[in-house]
Amino acid sequence: MRFLKAAVDEVVGLFVGDWTQTIVSIAILGIGWLALSRLHVMGLAFVLSVALAVQLVLATAAEARRTRRP
Amino acid sequence: MYAQLLTFGAAFLGSAVESVEALTIVLAVGLTRGWRAPLYGTVAALVLLGVLVVVFGQLIVARVPELTLKLVIGVLLVLFGLRWLHKAVLRSAGVIAMHDEEHAYAQAVSSLREGATGRRDWIGFTLALKGVFLEGLEVVFIVIAVGGTSGGLHIAVAGGLLAMVVVAAAGFIVKRPLARVPENTLKYAVGVVLTSIGTFWAGEGMGAVWPLDFVSIAVLAGLYFIASRVAIATIRRPVAA
Repeated sequence: MRFLKAAVDEVVGLFVGDWTQTIVSIAILGIGWLALSRLHVMGLAFVLSVALAVQLVLATAAEARRTRRP
Repeated sequence: MYAQLLTFGAAFLGSAVESVEALTIVLAVGLTRGWRAPLYGTVAALVLLGVLVVVFGQLIVARVPELTLKLVIGVLLVLFGLRWLHKAVLRSAGVIAMHDEEHAYAQAVSSLREGATGRRDWIGFTLALKGVFLEGLEVVFIVIAVGGTSGGLHIAVAGGLLAMVVVAAAGFIVKRPLARVPENTLKYAVGVVLTSIGTFWAGEGMGAVWPLDFVSIAVLAGLYFIASRVAIATIRRPVAA
């Protein structure tokens, strides 16, 4: 049973490190999906990746601040 | 050719990193409790992981429509890659400690000695099985994700297997944890590659048309790499009092 729980935790942990970051990433992907499925503009998907990249910078900076806070 | 190389490379690098961590556990158990039980545990875990790859790999490739597959696997790869990249950034910026195989090995050996009982074989078997299986789950995901979506499952399986064989052979020769493998740098690189491939496939699944097709993955990798360097520089910047 403990082995199964560890396996389930491991599978969830593959995709989720920080729930806030995961939710923000999924929201960005969801908005991207809506935009891309309606506007068929070449290169628009790069905007989606820029949003994910900005999210990475903000999320890591926020976690660094939380970790360093006394 | 470019897609096949990318599939092989991503599976090889991802599998190599996880194999180094699994090897540390098997070495710790084998050198403290004897080799028979941890080797049986390792073989049992590899069989279980092989079954997962065959069952899920075939099921996904044969049953799921291509665009749906690209969307779902792409999104999962983005989340998976971002998690690795997130940790790599924090490690590079000095916020969290670098993963150290020597330290992990010493900790495992110490806990094994403390927990020694008369049922050594069973404990050794379970520890190796659990360690290799849990580390291997990430390899299974990478292999199925990059192989299943690109239509090159056999190439991804070959990349993953080759990495495991190389790491196991190196471990057999040196009989120590592979502390010199630049594990943190590898994880950083794999994080960038997987996030880029995931974004590419998720985009295709959403109906996007990428300029220059597969070459866009290189542009995405450049973008995520720059973002990670910006994140590291931002975190390292001294905070004004």
